[in-house]
Amino acid sequence: MISNISHYLNRFKASLKIDHTVRDGVAEELYTHLEEKTQELEEKGLSTEEASEIAVKSLGSPELIAEQIYEAHAQGSWKEAIFSALPHLLVALLFTSYYWQNIIYASIILALTVGIAIYGWGRGKPVWLFPWLGYYLLPVVISGILLLSLPEGWGWIAALIYIPLALFVFIHIVRQTARRDWLYASLMLAPMLVTFAWFSSLGKGDELLASDWAARLQTNALWIVVSFVALAAATIAFIRVRPRRYKIISLLIPPLVVLFAVVTSSAGNICAWSWLLLLFSLSAFALPLWMQARAYE
Amino acid sequence: MNYGRELLKGNTDSLLLCLINRQPTYGYQIVKELEKRSNGYFQFKEGTLYPALHRLEQDNLITGKWQVLPNGQQRRYYYITERGQQVLARRLATWQDFSTAVKSVIQAETT
Repeated sequence: MISNISHYLNRFKASLKIDHTVRDGVAEELYTHLEEKTQELEEKGLSTEEASEIAVKSLGSPELIAEQIYEAHAQGSWKEAIFSALPHLLVALLFTSYYWQNIIYASIILALTVGIAIYGWGRGKPVWLFPWLGYYLLPVVISGILLLSLPEGWGWIAALIYIPLALFVFIHIVRQTARRDWLYASLMLAPMLVTFAWFSSLGKGDELLASDWAARLQTNALWIVVSFVALAAATIAFIRVRPRRYKIISLLIPPLVVLFAVVTSSAGNICAWSWLLLLFSLSAFALPLWMQARAYE
Repeated sequence: MNYGRELLKGNTDSLLLCLINRQPTYGYQIVKELEKRSNGYFQFKEGTLYPALHRLEQDNLITGKWQVLPNGQQRRYYYITERGQQVLARRLATWQDFSTAVKSVIQAETT
């Protein structure tokens, strides 16, 4: 009995990408069902092995049940959807003016993001956490890049200490998230995709870090706002739709919008370095989606 | 396409609400009860029951609670909610009207 049923439940759990406590609860429910059915069949004279095999068969494909259970639980409320999209909308709001360059406004948003991300991480990683987590990780990554631009010597020393630490935090969070669900990793990395894509439009090296970089970025404010609003809309769609394939489709929309916006705003005048950074950002975002598609097959 | 199966699929939620409304019950008992009350007519892959129960629970039509039986076994019992009762009442009324209308047409056709 143990092998048939535990094998069945392991297949079920491996296919069900939802909150672990909910997943284990449903698995327990299926276990009690299988246990009762097996006992009933044993009382009719079947061996334990035969009884458990019939019980498992009558329940049907564990992958199919997992997919249907996922759809039953996959739809977040409107409240969750709006809260998940909120960080994208806040950033879009900052770019509607020069507020993003104001240290006070930027610090308030940063403190809010860090606070909410830590709160969500400690509260069982609900789905609304992941977009906030993306913004939480963004300064961690950008600080590492900026350290490299410090005066010669200091930059590398700081980077040697900071980058391994930042990488550790980054990889740990991405791994933990992907373990829960690959799609959440994409949802989390989405703000980075947009940010790096827009930074890529500034050029490379000295050009990128030239003193007027902020002003140059501001000239594209409208398209940047469009990018973040598209991200917010895709996030709402991701939370609200039930079937997994629609969630994947909703996540594919922002990269296309961002690519279009970056290319349009720079009138197609993008250097090879920028293309490289842009495509790298897109592929980093698409990787979890690709992993998910593979798992789906 | 199997017409009977399609009909069952479209009415699974109402059947479940109906059974749970009679008395709080759990998954395996629902399967047995459906089979018994329909004289074996309703037979489906038992696993499809749980997604339907969880969907109803997500829609706040029923609520599930774990209970420990005297023999130590655990069961997740489902209870109908107030909203579930209202939805069920509306569905039953619609079903009665529909069923009466279909019967009238079919009887007229067969007599």
